[in-house]
Amino acid sequence: MDLYVAALGFALVSASVIAIAAVGFTMQFGITNLINLAYGVVMITSAYVAYALNQLGVTIWAGLAAGAVCGAVLSYLLNRFLYAPFQRKGTSHIGMVIISLAASLMLTNVVLAIVGPTSVSYTQDPGPTIRIGAMVLTTVQVLIIGIAVLLMLVIHALLTLTRLGKAMRATAANPSLARSCGIPTGRVIDGVWLVTGALCGLAGTVAAMNSDSFAVSNGAGYLITILAAAVLGGAGQPYGAMLGAVLIGVMTELSAAAISPEYKEVVAFGVLVLVMVLRPQGLLAKVGALAPAG
Amino acid sequence: MTYYLTTLAVYAGVDMIACLALSLQFGTSGIVNFSFIVFQAAGAYTAAVLSLPPDTANGGFQQYILGLEAPFPLPWIGGAVVGGLLALPVGLVVLRRLRSDYQAIAMLVLTVIANTVITNARPFLNGAAGLSLVPAPLAAQLDTGAVGYQYLYVAITAACVVLVFLIAQRIVDSPYGRTLRAMREHEVAAGALGKHVVALKMTIFVVGGVIAGLSGAILVGFIGLWAPATWLYPETIVLFAALIVGGRGNNVGAILGAVLVPIGFFEATRFIPPFGPPGLIPALEWVAIGSLIIGFLWWRPAGVLPEPRHVFPPTSPLGTIPARGRR
Repeated sequence: MDLYVAALGFALVSASVIAIAAVGFTMQFGITNLINLAYGVVMITSAYVAYALNQLGVTIWAGLAAGAVCGAVLSYLLNRFLYAPFQRKGTSHIGMVIISLAASLMLTNVVLAIVGPTSVSYTQDPGPTIRIGAMVLTTVQVLIIGIAVLLMLVIHALLTLTRLGKAMRATAANPSLARSCGIPTGRVIDGVWLVTGALCGLAGTVAAMNSDSFAVSNGAGYLITILAAAVLGGAGQPYGAMLGAVLIGVMTELSAAAISPEYKEVVAFGVLVLVMVLRPQGLLAKVGALAPAG
Repeated sequence: MTYYLTTLAVYAGVDMIACLALSLQFGTSGIVNFSFIVFQAAGAYTAAVLSLPPDTANGGFQQYILGLEAPFPLPWIGGAVVGGLLALPVGLVVLRRLRSDYQAIAMLVLTVIANTVITNARPFLNGAAGLSLVPAPLAAQLDTGAVGYQYLYVAITAACVVLVFLIAQRIVDSPYGRTLRAMREHEVAAGALGKHVVALKMTIFVVGGVIAGLSGAILVGFIGLWAPATWLYPETIVLFAALIVGGRGNNVGAILGAVLVPIGFFEATRFIPPFGPPGLIPALEWVAIGSLIIGFLWWRPAGVLPEPRHVFPPTSPLGTIPARGRR
């Protein structure tokens, strides 16, 4: 029994990491109507930027900020110079998926050419261990949970309280109507890529902090877990993605305790298939801030 | 040199068959089958376990199921059948209710997961190490090391290419092919005209699965080994790149793409003098494949040989039905 309680502790950490990533991913999809398959690679690239700083002796918390900046800049550039021109040309949904997959392949291999295929890990002090019943977590892991909760509150405030957030929701609901109402949708979408890119970079860095080591090849696994969480919650729904992240985090960690950690992604995939067969619109189809795309 | 050329010829044949199958699915019907390589792998594994002896042979150094030592045409037929059978459950899950971009990501994820499962479940198909020492077809009757055998293999492969090309051409020209194109252009309209779009998609998905299985069987019979590392998801992207370059929906374009991208491209880079750390050149090759896709979609989305316009002659004023024509 204690094994499962301990697994629940890890599940909270996992869910936090997935939530940060999945909220960014689902906002990109909800507002710009694009499935960005390069998301996992941008996460890994940001983790490596944090690693490079970490190797120079900078603390990992400064690296976390650098990862966020890297994710934001990279995502902005991807949209500005690749996705947006193709979307203006009227490329179909499916054409955009192929383009983002090609972009993912290119970025993966550029990073691979620079850093090589070997696994690396951060130099970090995990801090004193914190015990809550049978749950044993490091201070870093508790801080990751804190960061995730804080970010979720910030996203909620952004979407409901600020002008930018309201403009994002308007753009998601109906871009041409939003433009007619005087909302500069182009600048709003730039804002979306910067915000979601920062979430992506943060997620990549905390994911790497939470694991013993990471390599370029981890990007595909991240992407599967994020897709599962986003689709489970209802693609394009930030609150759905938060719910999906918690469910996927708990299920994958409990299955890792019960069966084997190698099959974590297989469990996530099983959930993805079940959702696609039984409820393709996701759990929160009618609730949430952003309308489903298409 | 002969061996190099015959190997190249067999690879080209396998890629042509695969591109033709993918062209039927992606080019003609608009199904973005990102899991294509899984069907090829299914065919290859099936052909391998059908032609291998039981796994206690060779000192039992690898574990796998079956091991039937079936005579020649059977492993290939088995590979094709399993490719088609696998398409049924995948198609039923993916092609029924989902939007096309969801279909694509579901199949992409399927490829990654199938690879993970096969890699980790060793007793099934020998896990990460993969199957090796797969006997070549007719190994008991012929000397597989001889040059003549190499030519024979090329000839059989070429025959398969011609057969698959004729089938693909027949499908594209038939009323069924016309319906597929109508579905690709406007699914809702095709449905409104009484076409059962799910049945149409399922049929072409299974046909593509059969051809993909056959291509895997041909490949494994020639190279004698098959492992998870040979069918990672980027391999499907190479085939997509071939179609986008050659011209999707055009069977001659699919053949041309197969010659230009997987064969021409990867063979050309073989002659570049090595530079940089190991792993740099393969990484740059993938970057180039990605830029090929993006570049062609931007400047020449229809490819080198665009899909022919299917125009039909007007009905004659006397009301007789003219012969079915094309172009």
